[in-house]
Amino acid sequence: MTPQDITKLIVRTSMKDRAAFDLLYRQTSAKLFGVCLRVLNDRGDAEEALQEVFVKIWTKADRFAVSDLSPISWLVAIARNHAIDRVRARRKPAADIDAALDVADPAPGPEAMVVAGDESERIHHCLEELEKDRAAAVRGAYLKGESYAELAERHGVPLNTMRTWLRRSLMKLRECLER
Amino acid sequence: MTLAEDNGPERGGDDLFAAEYVLGVLPVEERQIASRRIDTETDFARLVDGWEVHLSPLAAAYAEVEPPASVKAAVDRRLFASTAATSAEARAGLWSSLAFWRGLAVAAVAALALYVAVPYVNRPAEQPQARLVASLAADGSDVKYLAVYDSERHDVSLSHVSGTLASGKDFELWMIEGKNAPVSMGVIPAGATAHIGVSPATQQKLAQGAVLAVSLEPAGGSPTGQPTGPVVAAGDLKGI
Repeated sequence: MTPQDITKLIVRTSMKDRAAFDLLYRQTSAKLFGVCLRVLNDRGDAEEALQEVFVKIWTKADRFAVSDLSPISWLVAIARNHAIDRVRARRKPAADIDAALDVADPAPGPEAMVVAGDESERIHHCLEELEKDRAAAVRGAYLKGESYAELAERHGVPLNTMRTWLRRSLMKLRECLER
Repeated sequence: MTLAEDNGPERGGDDLFAAEYVLGVLPVEERQIASRRIDTETDFARLVDGWEVHLSPLAAAYAEVEPPASVKAAVDRRLFASTAATSAEARAGLWSSLAFWRGLAVAAVAALALYVAVPYVNRPAEQPQARLVASLAADGSDVKYLAVYDSERHDVSLSHVSGTLASGKDFELWMIEGKNAPVSMGVIPAGATAHIGVSPATQQKLAQGAVLAVSLEPAGGSPTGQPTGPVVAAGDLKGI
């Protein structure tokens, strides 16, 4: 499936075409489930989140028209944001280490970088301009949806320090991305 | 160089807030605030979209994991379990009947398939389809329009099927071609039927089957040239 094919499926889904929706599910659910699993770190939770994500895709597919995102990135954004909202609403992080070990390493392998192509070079290049631990914090936060509170605990710094730290990294990233 | 010197505090603050939202580090209350602002403030929504675009290559690191079949079954139950219960809608008449709109879509797709199957399709100079039709509707909205594009008269006629317009607001018609930004075709004049003239540049795209969409805008139309309100109805043009 090319991005154009996925775009067509999203547009047809926005017009309540169930066949298109079914095909869109078949083509993209594995990636979106990977997103939910990574953020929620719990299979049952991730399955429920994926359900809600596809309900959202069905009802909000028309919004795709006003986004600058590629179709698959738009779908991933819905899944990520939903999973993060869900994990944030949960009181304690799940201690399901096994599920965490099932999924890939936060740093993308060389293949993923090649597949992602030109556009990705920019963000990866800009992350390399940051200090190593800060780049890792940004990557980890993005992929796992970690909160400031969790990051602060893991890095052993006060919450406000963590926030200042990450905000500064984001400003540097922006400066590099807009260069 | 501080951010305030660079861009002014307002832009910097909102842009950083958007970045924090996209990164996913905010606590639950602040995520809710951000999410409300995305729905109500176009400028903020654009900042968020921009960060999603910047950071999206990182998502390549997410492994694909096949979900169990029970998930899709649950999605279908949640979305379509009540599809059979359309008797109330049938009573509301043909125009608001889901079955009618579905039937129209099926007929349009069938007509399109027939059209595509005709060997003349290789000769684009021939435009046997003088009229294209689109039923414009969207989930969560009661606004429905039926749009007919007459390629000989360069005119889109719109029948306002349902949905009311709040005072101080206007419906605006947009043409969306693929992933390109929506192109305004103008504010839809009030009334049961309305006609909108079509510019030559838009004519060709419509003939190729672009998507039409209706958004809710401030009176007089979008001030930015892009949709600023929700899309309340959309549909693609198909041969009759």
